[in-house]
Amino acid sequence: MNPLVANTIHDIKNTMQVLVSALNQAQHENPSQDLSQALDATVRVGAQLVELLAIYRADQANLRLAIADHDLIDFCNDVCGELLLPKGQAERVKVDVSQAAMLGAWAFDAYQVKMTLQDALRNALRHSDGVVSLTVAPEPGGGIRFTVRDQGPGFPADILEGEQGTMQGSGSGLGLTFARLIAMHHNTPDGRSGRVELRNDDGALFSLVLP
Amino acid sequence: MALQESPQLPDLSKYQALLIDDIPEMRSSSRIQLNDIGIQQCDTARNIKEAIDRISEKRYDLILSDYNLGQGADGQQLLELLRRRNQLPLTTVYLLITGETGYEQVSTAAEYAPDDYLIKPYTSYTLHTRLARIIDKKQTLKPVYQHLGPSGNKQKALEACDAVMASNPRYILDLTRIKGDVLLELKRFDEALALYQAMLAQRSTPWAEVGKARALIALEKEEEATAHLNRTLDAYPNYLAAYDLQAKLLEKTDKVAAQKLVERALKVAPSTQRQRQVGSLALENKDFTRAEEAFKRAVEKDKTGFFKSHDDYAGLAKSRMEQGKVDEALATIKEMGQSFRPSPELTVRQASVESLIHSKAGNEAAAKAALKKALDAGGSAASTDLSTSLELASACLAAGDEEHAQQIIHDVAADFQDNAAMMARVQAVYAEAGREEEGAAIIEQTRKEMIALNNNAVAMAQAGDLDKAAAMLDEAANRLQNNAQIALNAAILALRCVQQKGGSDELFAKAHRYIVQARRINPNIARLEDAMRLYAKLAPSTAPAMPTL
Repeated sequence: MNPLVANTIHDIKNTMQVLVSALNQAQHENPSQDLSQALDATVRVGAQLVELLAIYRADQANLRLAIADHDLIDFCNDVCGELLLPKGQAERVKVDVSQAAMLGAWAFDAYQVKMTLQDALRNALRHSDGVVSLTVAPEPGGGIRFTVRDQGPGFPADILEGEQGTMQGSGSGLGLTFARLIAMHHNTPDGRSGRVELRNDDGALFSLVLP
Repeated sequence: MALQESPQLPDLSKYQALLIDDIPEMRSSSRIQLNDIGIQQCDTARNIKEAIDRISEKRYDLILSDYNLGQGADGQQLLELLRRRNQLPLTTVYLLITGETGYEQVSTAAEYAPDDYLIKPYTSYTLHTRLARIIDKKQTLKPVYQHLGPSGNKQKALEACDAVMASNPRYILDLTRIKGDVLLELKRFDEALALYQAMLAQRSTPWAEVGKARALIALEKEEEATAHLNRTLDAYPNYLAAYDLQAKLLEKTDKVAAQKLVERALKVAPSTQRQRQVGSLALENKDFTRAEEAFKRAVEKDKTGFFKSHDDYAGLAKSRMEQGKVDEALATIKEMGQSFRPSPELTVRQASVESLIHSKAGNEAAAKAALKKALDAGGSAASTDLSTSLELASACLAAGDEEHAQQIIHDVAADFQDNAAMMARVQAVYAEAGREEEGAAIIEQTRKEMIALNNNAVAMAQAGDLDKAAAMLDEAANRLQNNAQIALNAAILALRCVQQKGGSDELFAKAHRYIVQARRINPNIARLEDAMRLYAKLAPSTAPAMPTL
């Protein structure tokens, strides 16, 4: 990516953040369906720009992750609590932290992993009706697995077969590229790495496995 | 949404908050958010100086600082400064606000990490939940915190960790981390290693990987520690504590590799302290262009004056001098004088480096005049810091003042005898002048004098002349503030006086002072614990209390 493009994306992203704050304030003062939708769209564009920049930085060998311990119950609650969803959507998101207490805290980059999971949740909400859930569980052989599950038609075959595409349906494929990038940048000194897994089982299941 | 409840936020109406941001709009929007969550009493500061003034006057419950504070300073540096000055109680919450491109510098800070960081833009909801969690954590860990710090009882800290772990497993990782630090401090290295290995068997986390390396180093398994740190840096290339530890190891064996490593750390998080470290290593490696660049950044980046040191200007002047940039080097010395408050220490440092520059340029008269100024300002006094003393000794050698050079090297060698890293710097003064053997002879002579001093004192004491022996060691311990062995021997002798002639307030105060002095210099010195135990056994309750190990 050309540095001019990257710098411009950076500027637009900052402007979007100002817009998000303003819309959030307006929604707080005079809630309306239109404002809510505008906020949702702005948040999504902002998130996409952050993802684009992360991909640019990775290309420049300059993507820096901050690996630190995070309490998994708090983290899952933050992922969902900070989604800024339009009215009617927030109620569809369920968090299952029943196994998180046993795991306690885990070391990962909370900001990037949050971006990844929020993107997956927004996708799931867009491409399905009904409940969308976020769970965290221990991964056999070491690590943890975050799963976003919906009750929709599932991922299309070409996505499951590993072709670069969107998480679901049409789109640029940015979200999945970003998710794989973030997974890949999570490593341990004994040589394990993160990964993304997609499968269908009465809906789409997006998993981010961290070492 | 099925969110679990965050810890309840206590009543914050009495909370004293300080908001630090150089941008007025940000200050007002953050203030609104603080109001939203119930904090009404909020002071503001626009820069580091104002922040330090406020914090010196008042105790805050919450400090909310932006990362970028302008003038080349940031909220992480402010945090480090406050912690070093002991101006930040453990109960005060320190929150940093960063952009999405700067958060990794904050969250991977090596030594002093903030309680948490918020990435812009954040909502009142986020501020609320984060603050509630930090307050809950500080409250839960209070029984442990009260035993930490320089005068804390570390054994009790360990017991408190176990007790809190049993009653509140939520903070098990924080408590394990504290336990590891305390075990290392108590020199229970095998237990510390076992603790880190048990943790790493379940999951990898950067602090436990570095903790394991620290334990390995303490157990003298440096090769294993180096290999482990290399793997840690491969997996966590932004974890600054791993760089710092690995650089410390490399400085002993391969200064070029150490410089390269600190350069890598500098790319992760640019800081004045790391620029200084690169500058010093580059000077030693005779990489003068790089040294100039690094010291220049250290000097120029910090416009507040709170973070730069005499070393930065001295280093910059010397790196310019070595490249033959005489005028620029002298200008740097002049600038140094304008950047700090006048003090004898500053005069000595300036004049020493100035003399060196003139000597190097062949201006003998000017070199001698500057040297005289340094010596007249008290440069050869024992109170002068090591870097200044060594620069003065180099200046003496360069200007042909053998007598003062020998005297200074003798004095610092006596003082820093136990400290291998410092002694390497002392040896370098003569070595750099191409007179390594002469320097080694002075150092060896000093070492023999110190052994003779200790032996004479012991012989005198054994012959029954305790007072004379004590007087000898008292004089030496008071003169040599960095010699742990002398301080410890003086303490043991004072306690022997107590045993033979009975205690007095004066004797206990003296023994206490020397034990504390020895421990400050080298907490690992042999027989320190014996002396502490003997003191605890003999001292009455009215005598100064000995901090427990």
